[in-house]
Amino acid sequence: MADKEVLVQIDRLSKRYRNIQALNDVSFDIRKGEIFGYIGPNGAGKTTTIKAMVGILTTFEGDVRIDGRSIRGDKAELNRDLGYLPQKAAFQDWRTVDQALNTFGRLSGISKADIDAMIRQTLEQMGIPETRYRKIAQLSGGTVQKIGMAQAILHRPKLLVLDEPVAGLDPESRYMFRKLFQKLSEEGTTIFFSSHILSDVEDIADRIGILSAGKLVHVGNMEELRSQVVNVKELLIELSQDKGGMAALEKASGVQSVQLETVGRYRLRLMPGADFDEVTQEVIVALMATGSRIRSVRPLLPTLEQIYVDYLAKGVIA
Amino acid sequence: MSLPILFKDELTGFYKSKVMLFLWVGLPVISLLLYALSPDTGGVPASVFIALIVASVGGALASIMLVVTIINEKERKVYDLFVIRPIKRWQIVVSKFLAVFICLTIAGMISIIAGVLADILINGAISSALLQGLGDSIVITLCMMAIACSASVLIGVVSPSILIGVIAVLYGANQLAALVVLPIFLANSPLYLAGLITVGICIVLLALAVYLFDRKQL
Repeated sequence: MADKEVLVQIDRLSKRYRNIQALNDVSFDIRKGEIFGYIGPNGAGKTTTIKAMVGILTTFEGDVRIDGRSIRGDKAELNRDLGYLPQKAAFQDWRTVDQALNTFGRLSGISKADIDAMIRQTLEQMGIPETRYRKIAQLSGGTVQKIGMAQAILHRPKLLVLDEPVAGLDPESRYMFRKLFQKLSEEGTTIFFSSHILSDVEDIADRIGILSAGKLVHVGNMEELRSQVVNVKELLIELSQDKGGMAALEKASGVQSVQLETVGRYRLRLMPGADFDEVTQEVIVALMATGSRIRSVRPLLPTLEQIYVDYLAKGVIA
Repeated sequence: MSLPILFKDELTGFYKSKVMLFLWVGLPVISLLLYALSPDTGGVPASVFIALIVASVGGALASIMLVVTIINEKERKVYDLFVIRPIKRWQIVVSKFLAVFICLTIAGMISIIAGVLADILINGAISSALLQGLGDSIVITLCMMAIACSASVLIGVVSPSILIGVIAVLYGANQLAALVVLPIFLANSPLYLAGLITVGICIVLLALAVYLFDRKQL
């Protein structure tokens, strides 16, 4: 991932709303084709960053460059390759889905000859082809969110910027959005999205940026996040037949402590510096020597949520 | 290329939201009813009377509608999905003005034609003097409507709330629209002066609206 070309450069971005410093010297890059998750508490400055990125916000310090070109310049060409889904996509009450997509698609440069097929294709992709001629105002919140997504991807942009795209969606729709992000990313679309649903961010983001009180606290992939925040290494072992497993595990080298969670389920804390693979190998041998039957052995890696909570506890996130 | 798309979109919006129906059917009907119900019109022909009604009532209604639409769309962040497209922000403002002004002009013409028909029914024919007076009325009506619409666009862009916007339109835009009539009545100036004043005022108001819309953090 590190050798990927940079598509978006956020350079020392700062924004002040009267007495509130919404963004404070925020800098990071988004690489071509990657999925970048942006997290942080409410009011941290996520939406402000996004609005500056897509050109809705015009007064700020610093710069945003897309493909090397500043968004302070002529935005027409940059906007052709941009798809944006706001936190709450708003459409005029009189619009049908078809009218909305037709106008937005045409304004984004889709020709009159192509627009019909592209609307049909996009609505099918979003799983809502039956809504095409219905009034948006009469649709459910989740469906409107899908239409918001449809207008963002209709013209096949190179960069998708999404502000809380899965907020308010049911589990099935959330799953569909995640699959869509992955598919678009595989096709070369760069995706930047903010979210409070940390499990989704962890699952689909290649890299994650954590924002707190207008400052960027961390940027990196999950591995980098884990290594920076949590030093504790743990193994979870499940036995289908336990024959003195506790004693065997306690004796294994590299194991600091053993905790029996339920029958046949052990949580092992490894000594600082111990290697996951070596300890795993050793405990398997030790357990097999007792005659126990092993169902699974897996490292317990901290989730993004745990890392986030850890950051909160340490006061890194305010 | 974007301006025609935006303009067509605005017209579709007026058509779909029944605004067009009200302006094109409701306004002529109201104008004719007011003429018929007025106890004394002082000998003013129906067509001229209706032109005045269109300029005042139609202008006020269209201005209020315009200001409410802009403030409502601004509050709901509807413009977010427009300004991120490869278009210029001024095109959004100008397309709104053009759509309302043209809709209102058509409504005015329908109303005045209805008035002319009423005059023919009442008098059997129209005199050339009446036609001359009618022509002047139409020009003044168009000028007043253009100023009212452009002022409403500006008020819509800067107003923080619908209430303030509507008050500003009623006490500002419509009074400003009356400016165009003043030189004609006070100094007996030629009609083309009213046209020039109108074009000047509209350009200034729309330029200001475009500048503020561009600067404003939506």
